[in-house]
Order: sequence, then C-alpha cells, then structure tokens
Amino acid sequence: MSSITYLESQKDEYRILDQWLKAREYVYVGKDVKRIDALDKVTGRARYVEDFLVEGLTYARIVKSDIPHGVIEWIRPGRAVEHPDFIALVTCEDIPGLNQVGYYIPDQPALAEKKVRFHGEPVALIVSSKPDSLEELRNLVEVEIKPLKAVYDPLEALKDKVLVHEEHGSNIVLRTKVKKGDVSKALENTDYVVENVYKTGYQEHAYLEPEGALAIPMDGGMTIILPAQYPHLAQSIIARVLGYPQSKIRIIQPVIGGGFGGKDDMGPIIGAQAAIAAYKVRRPVLLVYTREDSFTSHCKRDPAYIRYKSGANRDGKLTFVDVEIIFDAGAYANRGPFTLWRATAHATGPYEVPNVDVRGILVYTNKVYQGSFRGFGNPQVQFAAERQMDELADKIGIDPLEFRLKNILRIGSRISTDQVLEDSVGVGEALVRVAEKCGWFEKRKKYGKIVDGKARGIGLACAWHGISTSRGVPDWCNAYINVSKDGSVSIYTGIVEIGQGTHTGLIQIAAEALGIPVEKINLIGGTTDAPDTGATHGSRGLSFGGVAILLAASKIREKVQKVASRIFECKPEDVEIRDGWVFEKIKPEKRISWEEAVKRCYAEGEELSATGYFFMPKGKFDEEKGQGFAYIVFSYMVSAVEVEVDLETGLTRILKVWPAICAGKIVNPKLAVTQIHGATVQGIGYTLMEEVVIEDGKIVNTNYTDYLIPTISDIPEIDEPIFVEDYFKFGPMGAKGLAEMALIPIPAAITNAIKHAVGVKPSEIPYTPEKLYRDLLRRMRE
Amino acid sequence: MIPEIEYHRFSRLEDALRFLSENPDSKIIAGGTDLLVQLRARKINVKKLVDIYNIGELRYISEDSGEVKIGALTTIEELKNSKIVEKYVQPLHIASRSFATWQVRNIATIGGNLCNASPAADTAPPLIVAGARLRLKSIRRERIVPIEEFFRGPGQTILNPDEVLVEVNIPKHSGQWFFNFMKLGRRVSHILSIVNVAVAVKLDGGRIEDVKIALGSVAPTPIRAKSVEEYLKNREATLENIEKSSLEVVKDIKPISDVRASAEYRIEMSKVMVKRCLREALKL
Amino acid sequence: MEKKKIIFKINGVEKTVEVEPNKTLLWLIREVLKLKGTKKACERGDCGLCTVLLNGEPVKSCLVLAVEVDGSEIVTVEGLSRDGELTPIQKAFIEHGALQCGFCTPAFVIVGHWLLNRNPNPSREEVVEALNGVLCRCTGYRPIIEAILDVAKKRK
Repeated sequence: MSSITYLESQKDEYRILDQWLKAREYVYVGKDVKRIDALDKVTGRARYVEDFLVEGLTYARIVKSDIPHGVIEWIRPGRAVEHPDFIALVTCEDIPGLNQVGYYIPDQPALAEKKVRFHGEPVALIVSSKPDSLEELRNLVEVEIKPLKAVYDPLEALKDKVLVHEEHGSNIVLRTKVKKGDVSKALENTDYVVENVYKTGYQEHAYLEPEGALAIPMDGGMTIILPAQYPHLAQSIIARVLGYPQSKIRIIQPVIGGGFGGKDDMGPIIGAQAAIAAYKVRRPVLLVYTREDSFTSHCKRDPAYIRYKSGANRDGKLTFVDVEIIFDAGAYANRGPFTLWRATAHATGPYEVPNVDVRGILVYTNKVYQGSFRGFGNPQVQFAAERQMDELADKIGIDPLEFRLKNILRIGSRISTDQVLEDSVGVGEALVRVAEKCGWFEKRKKYGKIVDGKARGIGLACAWHGISTSRGVPDWCNAYINVSKDGSVSIYTGIVEIGQGTHTGLIQIAAEALGIPVEKINLIGGTTDAPDTGATHGSRGLSFGGVAILLAASKIREKVQKVASRIFECKPEDVEIRDGWVFEKIKPEKRISWEEAVKRCYAEGEELSATGYFFMPKGKFDEEKGQGFAYIVFSYMVSAVEVEVDLETGLTRILKVWPAICAGKIVNPKLAVTQIHGATVQGIGYTLMEEVVIEDGKIVNTNYTDYLIPTISDIPEIDEPIFVEDYFKFGPMGAKGLAEMALIPIPAAITNAIKHAVGVKPSEIPYTPEKLYRDLLRRMRE
Repeated sequence: MIPEIEYHRFSRLEDALRFLSENPDSKIIAGGTDLLVQLRARKINVKKLVDIYNIGELRYISEDSGEVKIGALTTIEELKNSKIVEKYVQPLHIASRSFATWQVRNIATIGGNLCNASPAADTAPPLIVAGARLRLKSIRRERIVPIEEFFRGPGQTILNPDEVLVEVNIPKHSGQWFFNFMKLGRRVSHILSIVNVAVAVKLDGGRIEDVKIALGSVAPTPIRAKSVEEYLKNREATLENIEKSSLEVVKDIKPISDVRASAEYRIEMSKVMVKRCLREALKL
Repeated sequence: MEKKKIIFKINGVEKTVEVEPNKTLLWLIREVLKLKGTKKACERGDCGLCTVLLNGEPVKSCLVLAVEVDGSEIVTVEGLSRDGELTPIQKAFIEHGALQCGFCTPAFVIVGHWLLNRNPNPSREEVVEALNGVLCRCTGYRPIIEAILDVAKKRK
C-alpha cells in the first residue's frame, strides 16, 4: 500500500485543476483545432536544423570506431590537414569540461576516451569549411584502435568473461524488482501454468530527419539550435561538457523531423558534440549525422529476453505471474535503468494478479546502446504478457477476451506493486467495446481455417502505461504566460513540438482558460527561454505541459475577472470570459472586449504575466521490498487486429485494426487519431519487418532498403478509434498521455491473430515472414 | 558525397562511342538511379562519367512483323505505359508495373537496369523467358547476344569498356503462349526481391509444348530454371505437374543468405513462386 | 574539379549556375540555390523526401546529377503556390491534418500535386501507387491518402 503526498503549497493549484475538470463543457478543448504549424510545413517554409543560413558556418561529422571493443591507441588528422577545407579534428582532449553525457549512470563519453565500446561509437569530430568535403576528410583521419574481446549476447555478458566497463566490475548495470504475495505458494495451488521465453529485437527510430545540432558561440556562452525533447536537460549536459554555468547555454528548438523518444536521448549528446566543436573552432558548427551514421551510432529500442511464467485457475482468475526480464543495454546504460523499471512494473499487463515476482536485469554488451523509444521498455514486456494471456486462455480452454475481462484492472484494483488505482481506469470498457465493434466472437469462430493457402485470424491485446516518471522520481512542469498590451498572448513552455501536435493542443488549453480565440495566442516552445517544464516524453507533453499552461492561464484569468468585476460591480467569480469577450454571467449583453479588459489591467496595476508551476503528487516505492507507488496514473489501450497469413510464404497482411484508448479527456480528437494511426503503423513495423541485423557487433543494414519500415502500401484499414474518456484529476481538463499508447499492444495483438489464423505460437519479434514460415514448417512436422 | 569525377555528356551515339573507345576508364550513366548510389558508397571507382541519357536515338519502342525493339534508354515508366510492350512482352510489362517507385521509373532505363547486372534486377527474368537478344555496339563493331549470355556475376556483364548496350530485341511469339512475372519481397511494394520469377509457357491443347522459366535473386546472375522446364515439357498443364515441377527448381538455383533472407528461405520460396507464377499464367 | 555551366528553369525562374559534376540535383537545390523546402534524408533514393518535378515528372533529386538538368525545368515545393495562394493539395493537407513532423510533407505535396494534374480522379489504389515512393514515419499515411482523394472529390 502506498500513499500519495500532497503539498500544502500547491493547494491552490489542486483547486484550479479540479474546477476545470468539473466544467466538462469546453469551447476549444475537445475540438479539432487545426495544427498551428501546418501552413509552414505544406509550403516548405518550416526550418529544420539543417535549413538555417548562418554566416561563417562550419560543418562537422562524427569519426566512428570500426571496432566494437578496443583500446584507442591514437587519433590523428593524418592527411586531412593538407586538405584546403580542413578546419579541425576534435577529440576528447578538446573537451573543456567533463567528457560525460551519461543520463543516470555516468558511463558515457561525448567522444570516446581511452576505449571504444561499440562499432560506430563517435571517437572524434572532423570540422570542415564546406559540407561536401566532410566525407573525404573523414576518410583521411587516422584512428588506431587495439581490439579487445567483445561480447554481444546479453546472456553471455551475464557471465562477465568480457567486461564492457572494467571500472564497473560487472556487465550487470543494475537489477529491478517488483514483488507481491507468494509466487511459489501460488504455483502449488494453480490449475494451469504456462511458461515461455519471449524475445524482442532492436527497433530503429528511423525518423526521416536524422540527428543534427547547430552550435553557435555567442554572448559569452553557447546557443544551440537543437532537435531535442528536453531543452533543459540538453542545457545541463552541454554545460557540464563545456564547463559553463547552465545559464550560459541557450537551447532553441527548430522544427523537428520526428523524435519518438530518440531525440530525447540524442539531443543532449549531439548537442554536446556540436558544442565541443564550436568551442574549439570558435565558429558556428553544424553537425549532422548522415543516415548511415544515424543507423550505426544512435540509440535504439532495447532488445529484451523475457522468461515468463504465469498461472490461472479453472475459474479463469490469474493466480501468479513470475517474470525475469533481461534488457540489453548495449555499450552504455543511457535510459536502460528506467526502461527496465517500466518493464518490471508493467510486466503483469493491466490485470489483477495476487502474487507477483518480477526481476529485471540490465546488462552491458558491445553493441549500439539502448534508448528511449515510444513505449519506453513497455512494448517488449506487453508483448510477452499479452502473448502469455492468449496461451493461458488456450490452456484453460476459455476465450482470450473473456479471460482478460475476468482479470482486468478496475478502479480500486491493486496493481503488481500493490498501489491502489484510485481513479481513471477505463480499460475494461475499452475491451468490451472493441470486441463488440470488431465482431470478436463471430470471427473467432469463423476464422482459423485454411482457404486456398491462406488463413485469417483475429487477435487482441491490451496495454497499460504509467504516465510521466515512475516511483518517487520528482516530476514537475511549468510555463510562463505574458499578455501584451494589445491583448495578444505569449506562452513559453519547454515542451517540444516533434510532430505530435502538442503545441496546438497546448494553445487550445490556454484559449479555454483565458476565454480568447486561439489566433490571439503565440506559443514559444522547446526552449530554455521557458521555465524548466520537464521532458517531452512519457506521453506527458500535452497532459503535464498542459497542466502548467492551464494553471498560468487561470491565474491571469482570475486577475482579469477581478478587474472586470469592478466594472460590472459583481463578484469576480461571476465574470465570464468567452470568445474574447468579458461579461457578467447573468448579463452577457453588457460586455467589454478582452483587449479593453487587458488595457484596464495595465492601467490599474494588475500584473498580466504568470507562471504555472506544478509539482506532481507522488508516493514512495520501496526498492528492497519491490512494493509501493508506481505511477500517478495509467493510460490504457486495447487493439484488435485482423490478419491474413499466406501459409506458403509466411507473409502476413494486416487487414484491419480496431483501436480503443483510455487517455482521459481528448483535447484534440483529430490530433489524437493521427497519433493512434502513426503509433499503430510503427507497431506493425516493429512486429513484422523492422530488424536491425548485427554481425560481429556491426550493424549491416544501415539504410531504408535493408531496414524496412512500413510504406503507404503496407498500412491496414484502421477503424475510428474508441475514446474512453476516463478523466484524470491532475490532467488538464482530465487529459492523460496518449502518444505512445497505440504502439504498445500491437506486437501481441498481431501475433495473437497470427496464432488464431494458423496455430503457431510466436515468441519473437520481429516476426518476419521467414520466421513465421519456419514455425509453420515445425508445426506441420509435429 | 560522390567522389570527384569528370562528366561528359553526349547527345549522339556515335560521339559517345568514339569517346568510349578513346577513354576505356569511363563509366556509362544511363539514368543513374543505381549508379549514383554505388558511386556515393564508393562501391565502384571511376574517373569519367559518360552520360548517354540524352541520346534520343536510343529511346524508342517499335515493332515489326517479327520482333519488338526497345531502345536501351527507354525508361521503365515508358515500358509500363507502352501498348506494344503490354501486348508482346507481357512479363516485362508486369515487371515494370511493380518496379521500384514512380520517381525511379521516370529516370531508370531498361539498359541501365540490365547493365547494372544486379542479380535481383526485375527486368532480366522477363526478358530471358521472352527470348530477348541484346544489341551491343562499339565504334568498331556491333554484336547481338542472347540475354542469357550477357550476365557474368553481380555487377558484371560481357560488355567491353568501349561498348554500349543499344537495343533489346524481343521476338514476337506465335501460338498459344502464356506469360507471367511475380516477385516476393518482405514488404508489399518498393522492395528488393527475395526472389523473382518469370515464365513463358506454350500450350498445345492441354499439353505444354514449350516453356521457359527464369529467376532472379537466387544466383549470382538471373538464371533459367532448366530442370523445371525439362520436367514440364510435353507434360499436361495440370496443377499436379506444376507442383511437382516446381520442386525441381532447387537444382537450378544457388542462393546465398543476406540481410533480406536466408538461402534456405530463398530455396523454399523459389519453389513457391515458380508454382504460383505458372499457375497464375495458366489460370489453373 | 572543373565546373560545368548549366542553364535551367526552377519554379519559373531561369538560372545559370556553375556546378561540379559530382553534385546532385538535391545539392543544387539545397546548397546552391538555398531552397530548403526540399529535404535530404537518405541520399540513396530510398526515402523519396527529395522528390521534385523535373520536366513535369517526379524524380528523386538525390539520384540525378546537377549537370544532367541542363536545359530542364524544375519545380520544388516553393514553386507550387504562386502569388501566395496555396494549391488545393496544400489546403487539403492542412484541412486533414495530413502531416505531423512535416519533414516528408513537401515530397507528398509535390507528388500529390503532380498526380492530380495527371489524373484528376484517381482511385485509392492509384493514390497509393503514386505515393509509395515517399516514406513517412509519423502519420501512418492514412490522412495523406484522404487529403488527396478529398481534393479530387471536391473538384468533381
């Protein structure tokens, strides 16, 4: 049992959030407001990091290790110095501050020092006066590395025969634990037990815009135009590397060509690299990873090895879940401690399980390092959990949907960490409605038969996903809003627009709270010029970023109400602001314009700027016991998938997907739908085709010909999403996170459907046609 | 970035041929959709590029009573839109429809695709089963070779440094011929083939009088499936015979494992695709 | 490296430029002419983001040498909306929210524009076929198809 700590100092904020939550009727929130960035994007005017024209610009490229594990003997410019365009070779020796870009564990250099730990690791930067000579210059640089024995398989790495980080003493980065009840006792009294091993591979973000950073030395510090997902994190890491105070580093977000978590990790790293080069050459430096560099050298979704044992009784109630999760961190821990914790906490799936034992191990290997990617450790474990649910249902002889419904989380349920869910649990309703819409029972009966070498199947899977940071890890948000004398409004937020549309949603929230049209509002986001808002990750951009904006805007609203109440001679709370007009609720015909009210405020000494700081109430998690507070709230997702399998080739066609999401209030349905579509298709790629092929530590498929992502011809029909609006008390108007959700159930939903179609038991993704074909052969032989 | 290079553009074949005879260290660019990728990746190393793309005299599709003639610089998109190709060189027409993407089809030429000699080239198996012959020309001489003799290995052909592939000749088939082309990739479109197959079958009533089958991506060059052909000749065109014949393909192919597929999978899929391609061609 | 003089029209304006033979059309557009709306994302013809119209037909500008466009006419995304008036395709992309990060949007807009000029009333399959040379990692493609079909429908 855990209890949540509320802060006395935030009482006012709780009141404001509650007031908006209860309003339920909104003018701008819940509407399909058009994206504010659409015009620039359709005309080609949007400026991405590579599109800025800067006087005196120089160009940089990473020089990479072609050895997966080794000792650096030397790095020399070699004949590059003779090239007319050569400006500098930058190595770790040029770093004025600390050569450290590690996120949680300080194990990662900005540029390799003494050792290299993966093939493709940046060891230096080559700086040129012209972009077209970078490749030639890079080839001229001499790098001598003495190879060491390397380890690639995480299970092998556990034996510690080769150490990736000697100073750490072991390849095990850390262990995680969630424990409830008594699993071994439960096992004795369980009717049906299923045990399987599940494996998932790397997933490459493959955002169309590769990583880049433009560092400009100016104003006695460094300004970096940086595609990142947390400007203040990039600021602190770059400050550390340069030995500058944080305040001397200014981060500005350009338009960003996709992030999906990858630029949360890569922003600070490439930003630091560009800044080091700019520091050395004292000129602006544009560092861009080529597509190949992006494939070889940027973080990816962590591969996982999951041993999963679970049981249920004849009545269809789960009795226990016993899981071991091994996450392959690659060469550096990066976000691994957090993706693994998330996997550990979510390992049961969204079900009530009385006895739980989940053990996680994060292990180093000599491969490209793991990173944040939509779902953040959770897709791997939901694949295992939800495949396991279908296998268990099979064993009991019960319909997989009914089995889920018997165990699904509801308000008041205790999750695996023993936290009680107090509100906002819509997943049961989502399951029922999806099943109804997709014709579940009928298709379960009808499909699974081979017709002309093909078979159809239908499967579904659930997902749950804790929003924001886990356990007691502090989480806050903030925003600054200023009303100009003409009544137009500027919002400053650290939340980054990476394509998801959050900035549009944030403006809707501000418009709602201020009672003015969205056109009057300008949002400056993704910059350290705004207060520290936390990261744009964990599906928190619109929900938590929105809380801060709602609070700041509400404070300004209250000031305008106060001034207006003196005009209308009424109580401030009886003043309404709507569509740019200010009036007394009961006498709407006697009104003044928003602009007029703003003028009055300026004239009467009422400040029209405000911040909206909010500190998320949290509880405590006992790491020793493996129990306590996990997340303040969860979003939920259910997806049903219909497939057709070609038995002769192993090709799977996804025919249709039925999504349902429980993300609280939907701020902008159109944006929500596009997020669901995008995440679903990314999940299809992850499940069926996206495979990072590594030979002797080297990634061999470093382009879009050999690493396949879904094209326009690969997409299924996607049904109109079902929104179960299970309001969350600390979200803006009750909104929870949404952007990651639709990817998470897809691997299990697809593979469950394949199982239904042809009877194989997929245990590994990507489940490529070739793997499916092999499983079919094996099954036929059996 | 593409390495430094000399560029020479010609709009008359004769000028290009003369230049080539005097500059054997040249490489022909005929569209360049494959070549530029290879140059950038430094997979090939050349000093001089000879751009023949603007030689209008090599861009045509024509027919006479006996054959179809396709100029080497005809784009894949032009093949796709050609009524002549659709009527007389069906498998090539089918292949051109699923060839890469529109932006590439607009530039890529049939000559470029053949001379690039990728084992996976989608235009090769169709032309092999159609009995195509290639007209190769240098300033000194001209020769005509059956397309099957043209390829020597991945990226390698019998072309001499001074020679240009100028025309593809395809005989018109008389009698009851059935053609088809199919490819298998790991994705629906915009994909390199794991295996591709073209077939040409001549029926005499229900009996298979003549048959040609060619596959790509399963050997160092596009190849004929002669064992399958042997099996089928003079047999009845039945599902059962087709199924049995397709198993013979393992004798004809030598696939490798790569990032796209294992050799074992390619072997199995060759059987499946031969069977399907024949079955669909004969509407069985 | 010896530069070659080329003369071409881009977005209706005639240009004379000297360019090295190892440079691509994409380079010419982005680095010489500084038209940054055309995107570079793979430089090997896989992604289609650098698509422009060359003599009215869509091509991947990373697969064309700059010297090859001598005497040609090029249209980039900047050349679509003349006199500040958006094309129907651009309007539809805004209306349908057919974009997210926007990095692939200029390419889809160009191909969509070209498709509707060539075939004012395409089927869904024809739209898919025309667009399958451009990758998108954000949207799942569906709203892009809808936007293009909607323009065709409204024209009818």
